[in-house]
Amino acid sequence: MSRVITITSGKGGVGKTTTTANLGTALAMQGLRVAVVDADIGLRNLDVVMGLENRIVYDLVDVIEGRCRLRQALIKDKHLPDLCLLPAAQTRDKDAVSPEDMVALANQLRAEFDYILFDSPAGIEAGFRNAIAGADEVLIVTTPEVSAVRDADRIIGLVEAFEKGHPRLILNRLKPRMVNRGEMMSVDDVIQILAIDLIGVVPDDEAIVTATNRGEVAVLERNSLAGRAFFDIARRIKGEKVPFMVLEEQQGVIDKLFGMFGRRPRGSER
Amino acid sequence: MGFFNSLFGGKRERSSDVARERLLTVLVHDRVKLTPDMLEQLKAELSAVIAKYVPAVEPGEIEVSLLRGEANDHIKADIPLRRTV
Repeated sequence: MSRVITITSGKGGVGKTTTTANLGTALAMQGLRVAVVDADIGLRNLDVVMGLENRIVYDLVDVIEGRCRLRQALIKDKHLPDLCLLPAAQTRDKDAVSPEDMVALANQLRAEFDYILFDSPAGIEAGFRNAIAGADEVLIVTTPEVSAVRDADRIIGLVEAFEKGHPRLILNRLKPRMVNRGEMMSVDDVIQILAIDLIGVVPDDEAIVTATNRGEVAVLERNSLAGRAFFDIARRIKGEKVPFMVLEEQQGVIDKLFGMFGRRPRGSER
Repeated sequence: MGFFNSLFGGKRERSSDVARERLLTVLVHDRVKLTPDMLEQLKAELSAVIAKYVPAVEPGEIEVSLLRGEANDHIKADIPLRRTV
């Protein structure tokens, strides 16, 4: 049974596209057939994040309007043969497609792939509604900032109103040292406020910036903290029980001492 | 935290706590479209109703918060009573 998962956030710039690219890549690394779909029509980005921008011939709107077959629009990933991108149209707007079109597209993709990830546009309008129309489940990305959490709360309400079940949360760009100093909301703060299940926490990591600069996806280099966090989330999506990385150190005397000497918190898996 | 800080010379409140509190207030409004004015009115009326039965209500100290549950949101009111000996 294939699964269609939409990644959304409400607020822009919190890492939806990066999350989609990393989760899609991580699932494909585990031998699954994965399609990532850029549903942000008019503001195409998933292609550049994955370094596939030079290979685009057809896009999502071409498929929906019947100018090409689905297979022709799907772009194979540079590294993983079982990972494909369906790019958004850049010169059209979101009114070019309807929620029914997106449901039909999702169902067409189900025949070929185990996982289909939709990268949603920001906002709560037509583009967002299109992006969740075909979804079996929804993942919400937020950062530990008041604006992002507020928008996430709004989106959670909408996802539930559209009967997409209980969305799960990815808390992105957490800075553990700021949390320890009481200068950033903690994982628990955000979870309590949103009353939502957590599927993963991704630490703020410069590796994401450098990987994206090169059109690479951080999770392929599993030595970065953020890459490992995304890989763990992909395993949890599959239903594996993966313990959460320890990012926020306990505020013990020893930890404070290490903090004084500038030791960076390291994630510890398993 | 705020209490201890004020005890030891009014050190600034941690900004993460400020963020949490501000968010909770904003979300009350977002979720049930309750404006701060309406919230104040709600508190005043609540204290008036409670005062009919329990004479020692502190109207200024009522805390009304909103919680998201599985199926419903909940309004939770914390109403401190003066100790009468």
